[in-house]
Amino acid sequence: MMEFLDQLLSFNLDRETVFGLFEQSIVFIIGMTAILASLGVVLCATPIYSALYLIGNMVCLAMLFLMFNAEFLAAVQVVVYAGAVMILFLFIIALLGAKKEGREFSFQNFMGLSFVGLLFCELLMAMMVGKTRPVEGKVTPEVIQQVGSAKAIGIELFSNHIVPFELASLLLLVAAVGIISLAKFTYKPMRKRTRT
Amino acid sequence: MYSLSWLILFLPMAGFLTLSWSGKRFPKLTGGWFASAMVGGAFLVTLLMLAQLYAESPADRLNHVQTLYPWVVSEGFSLNLSILIDPLSVFMLLVVTGVGFLIHVYSIGYMHHDKEFTRFFAYLNLFIFSMSLLVLAADFFFLIVGWALVGLASYLLIGFWTDRKTAVLAARKAFVMNVIGDVGMVIAAFMIFEHFGTLNYVEVFKAAPTAFFPNDDNVLLITLLLLVGAFAKSAQLPLHTWLPDAMEGPTPVSALIHAATMVTAGVYLVARCNALYMMAPFTMYLIASVGVITAIFAGSVGMVQYDIKRVIAYSTMSQIGFMFLAVGVGVFSIGMFHLMTHAFFKALLFLAAGSVIHGMSDEQDIRKMGGLRYAMPVTFITFLIGSLALAGFPLTAGFFSKEEIVMSAYSAQYGNIVFWGLAIIAVGMTGFYTFRLFFYTFMGQSRTPEAHPHESPSVMTVPLMVLAALSLVGGLLGPWVHDFLSPVFGGATLGHHDDTMMEIVAVAAALGGIITAVAIYMTGKDQLAFAKQMLAPIYEALYNKYYVDEIYDFLIVKPVKGIGKFLEERAEKQGIDFSVDQVGKQVREVSRGISIWQSGKVRIYALNMVAGMVTILLFVIFL
Amino acid sequence: MGAEFVLFVSAAVFSIGALGFVVRKNPLVMFMSVELMLNAVNFLLVGYSNFLNSLDGQIFALIIMTVAAAEVVVGLAIILTIFRTRHELDADHIDVLKG
Repeated sequence: MMEFLDQLLSFNLDRETVFGLFEQSIVFIIGMTAILASLGVVLCATPIYSALYLIGNMVCLAMLFLMFNAEFLAAVQVVVYAGAVMILFLFIIALLGAKKEGREFSFQNFMGLSFVGLLFCELLMAMMVGKTRPVEGKVTPEVIQQVGSAKAIGIELFSNHIVPFELASLLLLVAAVGIISLAKFTYKPMRKRTRT
Repeated sequence: MYSLSWLILFLPMAGFLTLSWSGKRFPKLTGGWFASAMVGGAFLVTLLMLAQLYAESPADRLNHVQTLYPWVVSEGFSLNLSILIDPLSVFMLLVVTGVGFLIHVYSIGYMHHDKEFTRFFAYLNLFIFSMSLLVLAADFFFLIVGWALVGLASYLLIGFWTDRKTAVLAARKAFVMNVIGDVGMVIAAFMIFEHFGTLNYVEVFKAAPTAFFPNDDNVLLITLLLLVGAFAKSAQLPLHTWLPDAMEGPTPVSALIHAATMVTAGVYLVARCNALYMMAPFTMYLIASVGVITAIFAGSVGMVQYDIKRVIAYSTMSQIGFMFLAVGVGVFSIGMFHLMTHAFFKALLFLAAGSVIHGMSDEQDIRKMGGLRYAMPVTFITFLIGSLALAGFPLTAGFFSKEEIVMSAYSAQYGNIVFWGLAIIAVGMTGFYTFRLFFYTFMGQSRTPEAHPHESPSVMTVPLMVLAALSLVGGLLGPWVHDFLSPVFGGATLGHHDDTMMEIVAVAAALGGIITAVAIYMTGKDQLAFAKQMLAPIYEALYNKYYVDEIYDFLIVKPVKGIGKFLEERAEKQGIDFSVDQVGKQVREVSRGISIWQSGKVRIYALNMVAGMVTILLFVIFL
Repeated sequence: MGAEFVLFVSAAVFSIGALGFVVRKNPLVMFMSVELMLNAVNFLLVGYSNFLNSLDGQIFALIIMTVAAAEVVVGLAIILTIFRTRHELDADHIDVLKG
């Protein structure tokens, strides 16, 4: 952020700098939008607005992914998250009825706010530690642009990370089985057992 | 050489395990013969050991240690299950397995009608195994193991008839008394380990003469503590009260454990540790004194009892007293010789008494017997032979061994005239009570005409005859026993003390006892009543066994019970129970307070998690 | 825009998500808050994968997405089941495990 201000103040505006400035300001704006959208998720009293804000947040993050040379992930983010998952959320909200949540200020909320505030401060302080690991990867943005994001990730996924990938597929299977059993076997409220 | 010795331990153990696992699936008599065959096999192996010992020169017969299994191996201490083969252990094993085999065979007939036939034989085999372990052990550890195991077998067999309350109580008493002895033994073993750094017989006995001065405090303490075990196991004063009660068990058990083998383990222990005991003349005097006093004490009590087995039990105590007298005055081989002859004739007497009880349909009171000589001729003759041997009638087995003890009581290293005099009295008593019992049982007319006594089957009488033959000729083995055992006892020669006068007195005492019995019991009722009247106070004391049980009850049992009751009231109910209850109650109260935290609300849990995260991050950042 | 910006944005979104989880009572919104937190982490991973010239971060983010999808689906099914039996939705009222 500081270098951005420095460059802005130095008025050294050739073509690349202007493009760079433009790109950085876009990133900045999108990032701030994402934060605002997430605030909206938490602060809106009605679940349906929360869901819409969440979609907004996810789209913002997807755009940021694009800015950071992760085109494939951006697509996945939009399709899976903003598309599938959030549609699911909206269905459920439609099914259950979106009731407005009353606002009250409780001790627990106060504690939550203060603790989370502390957490945020600490995370910011952790930022000051700076870089802990040297840059040693070989997959530079140029390489990705040459190969293509999806192909690069595919090669990486099916060569070095095949085991986590397969485990993830197993996890999805387990989730599917779990949902089927939740839906199929109706839950009966527990009663005290009586002797027959 | 001696490579088969493990079979002596293995065969009875295999018998015990087989019988106890098979339970009632084993055909009844087969189980009995199987158990007998196991013990017979052990006897044959022992004979083999004897033959192998004879193949060597006398000096080489010592210290053949066979290590079967290295059990504990560590720095500075190792414990092997090992077997010591030397003349003493083989001699003792001959008695144990030989007499044990005869008694096993006898039991097949005696226990024929019992429902738990197989269990009985399993226990008998367990006993033979334990006794063999005790005898064969090559160190004090396995000696104590065997010592405790014979106590266990004795407990199981005394209380064999678990539906009899007296039997169970007697078993408990025997066990407790034996445990008192075991404690002494264990402490002695610890002291031995402290002084010698090993529990191995060979090393301990080799080091003993140089490790201590004569009558050194330590050696006195060790020998006395060992003696506690020996006295408890051998029913010597003052730990003798369990033996008469132990007669509640089946008669073969009394013959095997409480006459022939287990109760003589104390004598064996003293003989085995002779190297230690020779360093402690004071202890030797104590052994001899206790032995001779027990001989008189038990003999006098035995003179007035009416239970056929109790009389023989007191006689056993008395005879073991003689053995202790012998080892106490320093003639170990004569003590072992008497141990052997005593095993013969006392097993014979018990088995014959068992035959009588069997024939009289479980009647043990000699006042209700009489005139059995016509009904049970074999039992009659064998019992007569046993009585003669026990009384020390000339030329029977008991004559040789007891005569030698009486003579040694005066002439041996630690002997003196007092021991001799007391021994003479005890010899007289032996003759008297033996023949009193004999006359009551077999002579005169039957006192219960409704009883129909019958002779026992041959499976019972054959062992009787074998033992009777041994009781007659066993005395001839005396010189052999002495020669055979002398390497173990440092090659001491028997300093024979020829004093014809003293020998005549001893024989006269034995015969005098017999004649007194004849005079009182064979000539009519008047003398008996007269004698009873004359000696009424003494008679009362004797009949009540000098009130020893009552004294123990008053001195030990009652105070302990009182303390127990007091502690139950105060410490148990108001102390321990209360505090335990309070612990439970307070825990419940505290947990009720703490359980507020378990609210079941996800958000509060999440809040706690965030708080934890904050704390951890604090550490990460600032530390 | 450097690594600090990425860190700042993801820290902010993460904290807001945590706040939402603690403060809100509607289980649906609580789930959305969880999604927020996961997204924050995803963003961090992708950003750093760019800075460190390594694809590991993106792979990691992909797998987190998978897990999140599975979690959301199962979680919503559970919420639905709870609603079917209790006919209300309030995280504070679901305290069957209260000790």
